[in-house]
Amino acid sequence: MLFLNFAELCSRLEKISGRLDTIALLSETICSLSEEDLPHFCRLILGKPFPEWSGQKLGVGPNLLYEAVAYVTGKKRDEIIDRLSRVGDAGAAVEDLLSQKSQTSFFTVELSLSDIMAALLEISVTEGGRSQKEKVRVIQRLLSNASPLEGHYITAILLEDFRIGIGDGNLREAIARAFSVNPDLVEYANQVRNDMGEVALLAKQGETALQSVRLVPFHPVRMMLARQGTISGVLESGNPVAVEYKYDGARFQFHKQNGRCRMYSRRLEEVTAAMPDVVTLLNDALPDDIIVDGEVIAVRDGRPLPFQTVLRRFRRKHNVAEAADAITMLPNLFDILYLDGRMLIDLPFHIRREKLCKVAGNFVTPQLVSDNESEIEAYYHAALDAGHEGVMLKLQDSRYTPGVRGKDWVKIKPEADTLDLVVTGAEWGEGKRAHVFGSFLLSVRDEEKLIPISRVATGFSDEQLAWLHDTLQDDILRKDGKMVYFEPRLVFEVGYSEIQKSPNYEGGYALRFPRFIELREDKDIKEANTTEDVTDRYIQTHKVQNES
Amino acid sequence: MLKATITADIFRDTVDALSALVTECRLHFSETEVWARAVDTANVAMIILSLKKEAFSQYEATTGEIGLDIAKLKNTYSMMGKASDIRLEHPDGANKIEVTFEGYHYSITLLDSNTIKKDPNAPGIQLPGQVTISGSELNNVIKSAAIVSDKIWFAIDPDNKEFVLYAEGDSDNIKRSFSAGEVIACNWQQAKSLFSIDYLKDMGKVMSHAEKVTIDLGADHPIKFSFEIAGGNGQVEYLLAPRIEAD
Repeated sequence: MLFLNFAELCSRLEKISGRLDTIALLSETICSLSEEDLPHFCRLILGKPFPEWSGQKLGVGPNLLYEAVAYVTGKKRDEIIDRLSRVGDAGAAVEDLLSQKSQTSFFTVELSLSDIMAALLEISVTEGGRSQKEKVRVIQRLLSNASPLEGHYITAILLEDFRIGIGDGNLREAIARAFSVNPDLVEYANQVRNDMGEVALLAKQGETALQSVRLVPFHPVRMMLARQGTISGVLESGNPVAVEYKYDGARFQFHKQNGRCRMYSRRLEEVTAAMPDVVTLLNDALPDDIIVDGEVIAVRDGRPLPFQTVLRRFRRKHNVAEAADAITMLPNLFDILYLDGRMLIDLPFHIRREKLCKVAGNFVTPQLVSDNESEIEAYYHAALDAGHEGVMLKLQDSRYTPGVRGKDWVKIKPEADTLDLVVTGAEWGEGKRAHVFGSFLLSVRDEEKLIPISRVATGFSDEQLAWLHDTLQDDILRKDGKMVYFEPRLVFEVGYSEIQKSPNYEGGYALRFPRFIELREDKDIKEANTTEDVTDRYIQTHKVQNES
Repeated sequence: MLKATITADIFRDTVDALSALVTECRLHFSETEVWARAVDTANVAMIILSLKKEAFSQYEATTGEIGLDIAKLKNTYSMMGKASDIRLEHPDGANKIEVTFEGYHYSITLLDSNTIKKDPNAPGIQLPGQVTISGSELNNVIKSAAIVSDKIWFAIDPDNKEFVLYAEGDSDNIKRSFSAGEVIACNWQQAKSLFSIDYLKDMGKVMSHAEKVTIDLGADHPIKFSFEIAGGNGQVEYLLAPRIEAD
């Protein structure tokens, strides 16, 4: 497939509003692809060149892109930044710039989908002192051969800002239709393999291939997620449920095979090197050929420490041994996905739990099985008293569904007056904060868009402000007076006293007394709260107020 | 197979000529010469370089090609005296080139030449205007123009018998006219094109060592700079695509 055809398809898909039309167009295209292009296409259309489990990253910030665009178009860097701030969207700005480029070239080479993939792979594996230069060189090569429209989508892919409205759901339906297979099987295979590219190839082979997918160590799957709910709600079915502590720690997946161990974070990044103490504990405790799911907490004098303590360790690349001595990290295991060559995710939870208890002994999370509301409530309060976040209620006969936030797991915790918001801008500070950002503009997700809802200026330590200032430099998209706007990457957990209606922000709501709680480095911007969440909470609180 | 000895000066001039445009290239050799043809990453500038066997004090080669990482070759400069004799050796099939001088022995890993951009074809274009000036003067104009602008006009004005270099910045501009008496040669054919100074700066540094540079020029067409290296035993051509400004 030529990349130009891909770009044209993206442009068409962006303009289609109906879901059915989108799926029809997608499946028609998928049908026509070669074996080689099919997996690349399915990954790129989701804006992710590499399988999620692979841990491969591009690491291209706006600054590298500006440099390459300036070189290819013969324009000055300032002109590029200026255009970007006027157009707002980096892809559209690059399209615009390429269509007006004054620098001619001797020839251009047609780009195919596999050329693009080869270049992206080259970018992702480049490391060391010259890596930035090498990356720029590859981007220059791509953009000098690209038409304006191709430049648009190359930019979006490079900046990991690919938003054409195609999610896993649409792609799943399109693949199913293209190869006449059941969409549920496509979904199942994707849960297990965690890569729509590979799944599309399996779907092409047929339903049997999709059914026979298996988990493999060192190929992490997404974590199963929980919904917020109430104890009474879960007990409505009348069946006893499993109750476990909800830890204020960091979620992980641990894999072991042939004596080799790897640990992955919630975002499936490998954290083995940062957590040698935990890895050693688990390596000693667990048999070979296993995948388990758990949460690591930091403990001092038997009590859990706040979540940031754990994350600080996840992030650490240097002086790991020193950090390991300072705080005790304790893994708590609550699920088992694979053992001894067998995939276990389709077994009922209580069977998995039995197997887990047999092999993991001391590190298994305590559990209460009950259908008695007051007993569960007592367990919940005991969890809070012990410094944990709350409890998880799990249905005894539920499967392990990777990446799904379903009804099978329900989290019970004190009414949360916090939101996870995306940092989209900042304003330079004044006085003591003159050389750092003094306040941050935060946004909620609204389908593919990000809508500002609040600013936050309190709750930061000086170290945090300095760190944020440094880390955000590479994300700056444009400047406007004292404001700067970022390529969205960071998620802040923000506390507030109330959600109010407000004409000041586009979404129609604002937060009262917002304060920074912590940086959610474990969360992707796609996991931030949505406008729907905010509206729900607004309606909830006002309903309660009206009732009282 | 390549076994050759060359003076440090010629070695440096040759590598510098390449590094003005590319970070890697394919170097070809035969019984009579070595040559390279490469284009920069944006396909905007091209170099065609050749060195006859006479440029070397000793030369022995069979037909072959190797992939050069030019930055690595430049690393050898730091220990290289002005008058050193540089010994280059590449046995058939090896993935290294040995660079030996004054007791130093660098063994440099080659790039897989399949991963390097294909050698470009030289564009088959007719450029009517031709002018020859000194390399150092050309470089001086490029350097001064770079202060006010990022682009520069090259023009032959047959009516006034002038070769004109003109750079217009946001507020200032610079013009250098060469009269008939100041150029080494000119055919006084009408020509005018605009070029990016970014590219010219690096080429200019290399060309500043050339006694004379012949410039082929058209109207909104590429430009070609030709000059000798290695005391006439080597030839370099730089080609640069023009900028076309929308009015």
